[in-house]
Amino acid sequence: MLPVACEDPAGYADRSRRFADVPAGDGSRHAITVHRPASLSGIVGTEQTPQGQPVEVSCATCHEVLRPPPELPASPQTLGGPHSGLRFEHGSNECRSCHDPERYDRLRLASGESVPMTDALRLCAQCHGTQHRDWLHGAHGGMNGHWDLTRGPRLRNHCVDCHDPHAPAFPRFRPMPPPPDAPRRRADHG
Amino acid sequence: MAHSGVPHHLSYPRFLLKVLDRATDGTWRFYAWMFVLTAIALVGANTWAWQVARGMAVTAMSDHVSWGLYIANFTFAVGLAAGGVMMVIPAYLYHDEDMHDVVIIGELLSVAAIVMALGFVVVDLGRPDRFWHMIPGLGKFHWPVSMLTWDVIVLNGYLAINLHVCGYLVYTRYRGERPDPRWYLPFVFLSIIWAISIHTVTAFLYSGLGGRPFWNSALLAPRFLASAFVTGPAFIILSLQLVRRFTAFKVPEGAIRRLLDILRVAALVNLFMLAAELFTHFYTGGHHAAAVRYLWLGMHGHHELVPWMWTSITLNLGAVAVLLTPSLRERRVVINTALVAIFAAVWIEKGMGLIVPGFVPSTLHELVPYAPSIAEWKVTAGVWALGLMVFTVALKVGLQAMTGELRAPGADADLAVEEKEVA
Amino acid sequence: MDEKPTRRVALKVLGATLGAAAFERALSPLRELSEITSVGDFMQKHYRELSRDEMNAVLRRLEDETQQRYGREVTIRDVRPTEGVQFAYALNLSVCIGCRRCADACHVENNHDRPTHQSYIRVLEMTSGSMDMEQGNTGYDHTVPAEGKFYMPVQCQQCENPPCTKVCPVEATWQEPDGIVVVDYNWCIGCRYCEAACPYHARRFNWHKPEIPAAEINPDQSYLSNRIRPQGVVEKCTFCLHRTREGRLPACLEACPTGARVFGNVLDPNSDIRWVLENKRVFVLKEELGTRPRFFYFFDV
Repeated sequence: MLPVACEDPAGYADRSRRFADVPAGDGSRHAITVHRPASLSGIVGTEQTPQGQPVEVSCATCHEVLRPPPELPASPQTLGGPHSGLRFEHGSNECRSCHDPERYDRLRLASGESVPMTDALRLCAQCHGTQHRDWLHGAHGGMNGHWDLTRGPRLRNHCVDCHDPHAPAFPRFRPMPPPPDAPRRRADHG
Repeated sequence: MAHSGVPHHLSYPRFLLKVLDRATDGTWRFYAWMFVLTAIALVGANTWAWQVARGMAVTAMSDHVSWGLYIANFTFAVGLAAGGVMMVIPAYLYHDEDMHDVVIIGELLSVAAIVMALGFVVVDLGRPDRFWHMIPGLGKFHWPVSMLTWDVIVLNGYLAINLHVCGYLVYTRYRGERPDPRWYLPFVFLSIIWAISIHTVTAFLYSGLGGRPFWNSALLAPRFLASAFVTGPAFIILSLQLVRRFTAFKVPEGAIRRLLDILRVAALVNLFMLAAELFTHFYTGGHHAAAVRYLWLGMHGHHELVPWMWTSITLNLGAVAVLLTPSLRERRVVINTALVAIFAAVWIEKGMGLIVPGFVPSTLHELVPYAPSIAEWKVTAGVWALGLMVFTVALKVGLQAMTGELRAPGADADLAVEEKEVA
Repeated sequence: MDEKPTRRVALKVLGATLGAAAFERALSPLRELSEITSVGDFMQKHYRELSRDEMNAVLRRLEDETQQRYGREVTIRDVRPTEGVQFAYALNLSVCIGCRRCADACHVENNHDRPTHQSYIRVLEMTSGSMDMEQGNTGYDHTVPAEGKFYMPVQCQQCENPPCTKVCPVEATWQEPDGIVVVDYNWCIGCRYCEAACPYHARRFNWHKPEIPAAEINPDQSYLSNRIRPQGVVEKCTFCLHRTREGRLPACLEACPTGARVFGNVLDPNSDIRWVLENKRVFVLKEELGTRPRFFYFFDV
């Protein structure tokens, strides 16, 4: 027969099954939590605990006591100690662009304000405003959890979860395998 | 004129028994022919049973080319059924006497072709066990929105009309009675319009899909009809000659001549439409032409259908050239070869050359080729065998009714002469 | 007057008997049908015709059948939409790197057939500067993202004007109130007309009975989405309605490492998806076909 009445175009015989029985909520919303990357609070060394866990040393361990702070090297690549082997590819930035020159384990905003390393997001947002705006609205950077915050929380990635501040370009890697029924072209493998 | 005075509730079952008796009676050639067809049909049935049990992965179809040999043959069979009407128009609208005698053959071909078409639909279903879902009232029949529901209606309706007309004519002749025009003439005229509709609706199944630019052409329905009016008459002309050879039925030469005339025009129209489609695609170029390029020239290193299409067009043009040559008109063997050639050419063009390129390249422009699997060929052969069995038996019984061999006890054999004067 | 039985009739009866026997042998593979269907399956009414009690009975039966056929206890629910919700999805083509983790997550979440590594998502590697899918490639197998390329995952667009629901002869597929186009897998007859009609290669057909090891089955299932589908029916992306109708994000979005995917209720003015649709220059695929997808693409610049 011709389609049923407009208000129920899908046509359910048992109208009570049309929608979910949703209990009335109190309007409260769950939290959006931003992940706190471990790399912002310390450094992971090559040592291991007797249990086989990597040894993590907090920034403050050294930088609290090093007064005045050590000389900055000529280039980030020649950093020594626990920071040796640092890869640096962040445009025309240099160490002091981000790090507080008085305390290297703190960051300095464009205003001159010193903020803890864990506030790195504010610093990234200063130059990468468009990405930060997109991130705020869920259009950049991954998330887990709920789209409907009245029913559950959401966990967001921090910038540093994906972008190493010293070499922030998103890494390239091998994709998951192609679908078995995809036509192959000669230029596929490389 | 003596006729059987037995009431219908007694004579009809007797008629059916007699039909069954005659349908299983014949020369050694008949038995050999039916035995071979039965064997092929059984192989097809067995393969189909495996397909139902194990899934359609036994075919070569994929999510890219999700319709293949079965639907190609379905489309062709619908055309064959529609072509039968090409005898009805001259016989009843233009009072062509010669055609009037043999028109039942075209109608019986329509019956067999519809049975084949329905058979091809059933074997193409992923869940034939859920067939009842399509029955209005019992299941959910999505009419009038789904074109497939229109097709179900028109195909079954056409089968019913032809079964009624043929059944009525055969039964009344069996009883030695004169057929009452009120019981069959309206249906005959209805069948003319209905024959056009079955193939138009089938074309609309494809031409309404915006996501398939190869099919999304206004010319598809006219092309279907033109090619149907090639294959129907071709098959009937060949069948008429076989009827002449193997039965007592007198086939007037005028009927064959008229069918050839119709076929010539239809073949030229079909070629013209093909040329129009090719120009539109190739001249414009772009995505619109992708499927056509793949079909006729190959694309991205894939040429699977190219030999098919060039064979088809060669056979088509060759056959048309032969059919248009006046000096060859009386060379029956040459004409018959041309008929077989054009039948094959249209089978290729409408089957592999229409269904498959609708899916190649896919809607995401992936070029995944398709070639039917052995299982598909077996099932297809099985359905064709079933159709030919139906046609053979229907012709046998129908023609015996026309010649007077099939009569109830006490009924006159020579009704045929009287009936012709009246009509 | 009846004819006396003759040798001819006797031969015919013999022939018919042999023929019937041969026919029965020919169709003997149909005995395996019990592996893909049951009496309850055959008799079941359409999803929309079921009452709550009938629906529950169906769900219990399906859970039993899954246990028998796949050796895993699962929960199959009938997850209904919430009023006032219309889903929409957006994809950031500047951020997608073509890693196919979304396609893989779909494969796992939706209990897809393992041998064919089926998924509802196909990712096209496109050439920068062109939206020509003819130049696209789904079979790329190199480090991503490649120079001069961008990546476009395609899945069901859950169109507002879907060509697929129009063509189904038995109404086995329809659009739900929250916009998701669903399939009743127990009603579909497998004619694949919808698969022919879809302009986005969104639909998949079960060419054989899906094979999944018991340990890999996702047991949190729903009737209209990720329960293990039977042989011979069509299926498609349902925006993970068993998750999204309960407020959760779809599996493909959670798997995306770059956050290229945005999902939500477009009727909520404060949602991420609304912000994207209002602030980014979004477009849809094959707009000229009038399907009105609710899946939008955009670039950052």
